[in-house]
Amino acid sequence: MNPRAALAEAAFYSAGALILGALAHFALVLSIPLVATHDAYNRLAEIGPKDSTLAVPRAGPHEGLLAYADPAVANALCFFDLRKGPIRVRAPLGRAAFASLSFHSQRGAVFYALTDRAATHGMMEALIATPKQLRAIIAQDDEDNPSEDLRIASPTLQGFVLARIFSELPSLYAEAEAQAKSLSCAPEPPAK
Amino acid sequence: MTTLLKAIVAAVAGLAIGLWATRAMLANGGPFNSVTIGAWSVATKGGATDADPYTRASLARSGEVPLALGEGLQLVARVDDAGRPLNPRCVYRVGPRAPTARYWTLGVVDSKGFPIENPAGRYVLRSSEILRKAGGEFSIYVSATAHSGNWLPVGAPGAFALVLRLYDSPLGATIGGIDKAAAPEIAREGCA
Repeated sequence: MNPRAALAEAAFYSAGALILGALAHFALVLSIPLVATHDAYNRLAEIGPKDSTLAVPRAGPHEGLLAYADPAVANALCFFDLRKGPIRVRAPLGRAAFASLSFHSQRGAVFYALTDRAATHGMMEALIATPKQLRAIIAQDDEDNPSEDLRIASPTLQGFVLARIFSELPSLYAEAEAQAKSLSCAPEPPAK
Repeated sequence: MTTLLKAIVAAVAGLAIGLWATRAMLANGGPFNSVTIGAWSVATKGGATDADPYTRASLARSGEVPLALGEGLQLVARVDDAGRPLNPRCVYRVGPRAPTARYWTLGVVDSKGFPIENPAGRYVLRSSEILRKAGGEFSIYVSATAHSGNWLPVGAPGAFALVLRLYDSPLGATIGGIDKAAAPEIAREGCA
């Protein structure tokens, strides 16, 4: 084989390798979120049953649950399932200097978030529903008595709500933890 | 036969390149996800539903529940102001100011985002617990051995990162326009 033919052959195989590598790369990046067994949703699902409010263990060197979690913030979460109807989320405010709720789809993406600035009557409250359920609720609205609900459309049927309660001082962490645990996600009774 | 052999070698090399590229690109949160401010990088789209595939894949691997834009912002530094990787044998001074936020915390984490064991049992310092000068300016010393003033311990001899979490910060909306002067400096004071 003459040198030019050898060079052409090497170039051919290298190009093939690079194209295959690029394809493998894109396939991997797109498929990782679909097959990940150790993403936030799955890690949180290991804490306990999905039908109750779960306290997330405090971030620490022996507690490798959620990466980049803040040890100064107490977290609690509840999973929701909209197949049986909308879910009402309530998180009473305590003395914590900062509190927030974030609403996550099953893949972990945030679809809504609110902080204690949005609280009324000492409570962060929201109603999660599917877009279809939301239309039904709006159709039943009483025009003379406008609802004060904060209504959030969820992109997926299942997901979770995470409460973050900030502890201003190390000694206030236990209190923040108790406040986080007062999060509740309850099925909304159907309107009459 | 030789053609088949060459094709197999090319295929294996291609897949290896694809795997390596995926790993490398997802290592620090994906390539399209961050804005840098001095030594700090900010993941701008965290868990948002419109995050790019690299960000989503990276989050699925790290197991992180990122702060939503409405809740706050997380800044991560793996290097000092001069661009040198953070070294546990050195003393770093972080300050004198932080971006506007209701509260912030500064923590030390390992390469996977988890706190590092240290004898003081301190993994984070809150804006509400540190000592400040009259004008509100502060210095936090990040070092392995105890330091006077605000001391944030570095536990292990390996690589570490600094995480600055801003809660309820107006920066979220104007992420591209963060003034470099607003972010804390990370100055290396000396090394053992």
